[in-house]
Amino acid sequence: MKDKIKELIDYLKKQKVDYADIRHQRSSIEDIKVKNGNVEALSRNDDQGFGIRVIANGAWGFAASSMLSSKEMRRVAETAIEIAKASALTKKEDVRLTPTEVYQESYKSNYDIAPFGVSIDRKIGLLLDACSTMQKNPKIKVAEGSMQFFKTDKIFASTEGAFIEQSIVESGAGIFATAVEGSEAQRRSYPNSFGGDYASRGYEFVEELKLLENAERVREEAVQLLSAPPLPEMETTIIIAGNQMALQVHESCGHPTELDRVLGTEISLAGGSFLTLDKLNKLKYGSEKVTIVADATIPGGLGSFGYDDEGIKAQRVFLVKDGLFVGYQTSRETAAVLNQQSNGTMRANGWNRIPLIRMTNINLEPGEWDLEDLIGDTRDGVFLDTNKVWSIDDRRLNFQFGVEVAWEIKDGKLGKMFKNATYTGITPQFWNSCDAVCNRKFWHIWGVPNCGKGEPMQTMHVAHGTSPARFRNVKVGVSK
Amino acid sequence: MIGKDNILNLLNTILKKSEADQTEAVYIGGESGLTRFANSAIHQNVSERNSRIYFRAILGKKIGVASTNSFIKEDLEKTLGNATEIARNQKENPDFPGLPTKQDFTKIGTYFEKTAHFSPTQRAEAVKKIFDKAKALQLTCAGSFSTGDSEIAVVNTNGVACYQPLTSAYLNLIVMGDNSSGFSDQLSRDVDQIGLDNLAEIATAKCMESKDPKELEPREYQVILESSAVAALVEWMNYIGFGSKPFQEGTSFLSNRIGQKIMGDNVTMHDDGVDESGIAFPFDFEGVPKQKVMLIEEGVAKGVVYDSISAHKEGKKSTGHALTPDNAEGTFAMNLFIQGGDSSLEKMIESVRRGILVTRFHYINGLLDTTKALLTGMTRDGTFWVEDGKIKHGIKNLRFTESMLKAFSNVQQVSKERKIVASWWEDVGCIVAPAMLIDNFKFTGKTEF
Repeated sequence: MKDKIKELIDYLKKQKVDYADIRHQRSSIEDIKVKNGNVEALSRNDDQGFGIRVIANGAWGFAASSMLSSKEMRRVAETAIEIAKASALTKKEDVRLTPTEVYQESYKSNYDIAPFGVSIDRKIGLLLDACSTMQKNPKIKVAEGSMQFFKTDKIFASTEGAFIEQSIVESGAGIFATAVEGSEAQRRSYPNSFGGDYASRGYEFVEELKLLENAERVREEAVQLLSAPPLPEMETTIIIAGNQMALQVHESCGHPTELDRVLGTEISLAGGSFLTLDKLNKLKYGSEKVTIVADATIPGGLGSFGYDDEGIKAQRVFLVKDGLFVGYQTSRETAAVLNQQSNGTMRANGWNRIPLIRMTNINLEPGEWDLEDLIGDTRDGVFLDTNKVWSIDDRRLNFQFGVEVAWEIKDGKLGKMFKNATYTGITPQFWNSCDAVCNRKFWHIWGVPNCGKGEPMQTMHVAHGTSPARFRNVKVGVSK
Repeated sequence: MIGKDNILNLLNTILKKSEADQTEAVYIGGESGLTRFANSAIHQNVSERNSRIYFRAILGKKIGVASTNSFIKEDLEKTLGNATEIARNQKENPDFPGLPTKQDFTKIGTYFEKTAHFSPTQRAEAVKKIFDKAKALQLTCAGSFSTGDSEIAVVNTNGVACYQPLTSAYLNLIVMGDNSSGFSDQLSRDVDQIGLDNLAEIATAKCMESKDPKELEPREYQVILESSAVAALVEWMNYIGFGSKPFQEGTSFLSNRIGQKIMGDNVTMHDDGVDESGIAFPFDFEGVPKQKVMLIEEGVAKGVVYDSISAHKEGKKSTGHALTPDNAEGTFAMNLFIQGGDSSLEKMIESVRRGILVTRFHYINGLLDTTKALLTGMTRDGTFWVEDGKIKHGIKNLRFTESMLKAFSNVQQVSKERKIVASWWEDVGCIVAPAMLIDNFKFTGKTEF
């Protein structure tokens, strides 16, 4: 395949395109889902193909195919050029890419236990044991567990001379209990909702999650929620658990700092961003407690890699520093608008998709508080845990998020449980109300395997390092 | 296009080598192109040729699934071997009733030659015409125009051999001004049916009429929901309630309510995969013919859609709603029809004294309380204040938080005209939706634009 790619790069150079790159990707996914003592799904999906991105006549074209014959590769190259020429019919100016260092390198993510080498029996056994524990209360109507494993090998080559090989292994797992009584249904998840937690690691990550050890607590909390009152509507202090903070960072900082959104190129699906260019280095996005970085270099992060899909080396950059909005996630094309270099966030979710600006590990930097002290320091408030609902407007300002469970905080102690808890706000007002962030002891990188963006839709693996944080005067309980 | 004979022959050849008791193969493949634009210029323009072939191998009641995107014989044999090996290591699924047997399915036309061969240049020329119209009004355009063809086939060792070629064309358009925007879209199997001029006219008018939007305090209002807005609500109801999985797990708003009145008399919803007034597709991914399923009839909860396994749990037969073999999400009503009434959008506007007209919703989520179908989301791309029977002006976008059981119990008027609205399964389905006039629809928040 390497020789075919090099030949095709030579062919594209001869076609006098302004620029071209080729990505070949081979991936395998193992998917396991168990429910109520049965294995609901057990599958392995293999995939490979290549995509060619060209700039010709000053405009972009992209074509991709799963067929790997030399003849097909040549056809796809010609199609990409034809498409670029069609794009040029509407161009206002030529596409301009910022210059970059050209790499001929390789990168491999680290893992201790190769997940595809672990027996299916062992994996299923762990999930069935956890389900069995969760089923011990008859009010648990659905006890579920899931695991997913990914192995991706990709080659990136460009007409500028880049040739980069990367191999990334990822693992994820979680357990989920749904309690039902009459017309009431409540769910608890561990370690997070919507598939659990994920990392760019091996099967050792799944073992460290301690699914079985948490199954009883998950079961009992789901059952308790059935008789818990709904969170009343009020304005109060909230402390948000780390897994929900990951969602908060994702929706209200990660997406609006994607520079392609800011420039309007995502309008047709998920919308734009309130963080317009005039706000860079001026907007007080949050309080001085809020520092947020995009860091693709953290070992084990689900948003970590060696090089992005434009061949830019992984980086750590500030988005918000001590509350001030200071940076975007950029690509070679969008960085040119700011006269900057790309900070390496262009990724595609497969060979058949163009790279877009995608979150890496977007992290709220840890603060100084122990969680116990932060709760102890809160006279009246609510502790909110584990995402259940997410909705935000198309410029990422008005959000309303819901969680699986909330607890009253009264005189520095956790009190009664609430169900169906939501909170809502306007993004910069909300982040400016942050007065405390927990320290590194409570900081964790939450893997998010289902970030959607683009047309055709691309689902990307990203992550968020977060710890619990406190916000003042937040409207909660807007659920009906 | 690979062709019916080439696909069925190769898959049947592979199945003959299977060591499993029963085996199924599903082929989904094709070629598609999508031209995406923003700021009145094409910025993403892509083409893809791909396929996916699933094998489901059955040993007793043990099920193994594997898939590949290579249609080369050796790779297919290897993938079947993987599926069989997974089945050997599986636990038995007591609910598995066996693979379906051969059944006749309705012949419908789903393939249009011109759509299959619509080129990137043709898409670019089409959107350029829209850009030029907008430019004359100092407006810009964003959106996408996609065209493509696919082939779907299902074969199994019980004699099922289904094949259907199909095409799809979809254009969505947002026309943007300084502080307003307007939306229109159209989905069809036939690219000739995409009415570029009409779409441009609708989106442009909405953008211009909603400029300089005024702020409105959130509370309950009488609301006119256009077809796209109605469909977006029903799409989420489908996800949380019309499938067999949430129904059987007790989390659906239909669970334990079959036969009960849960909405108004003027609300009827059903699924029908062979009704060609929608985006029809005649069989599911197990090769079972699609059945017409009544979901809500004159406000009464009637039923949900099933695949073989979920139907067997209740001693029923599949309604032809299986998804691909690797799917564990259950079933969904992919060909939804919401019954029309005798009103029109114009009549609805005329009858509103003080209310809101919503073009469409954005980022709906319905997972907070699924048994009440409690949804939240934002308005987008054309939200208007209606007063004394007339559209007065645009308003800044609002957030709603509302139970759909309440909303669809408060429907005052339903339009006769219905629109095909693209859904999450636009190649094999859609939502055919009317506009609705609804009382006391609750808005709970506002934003700054």
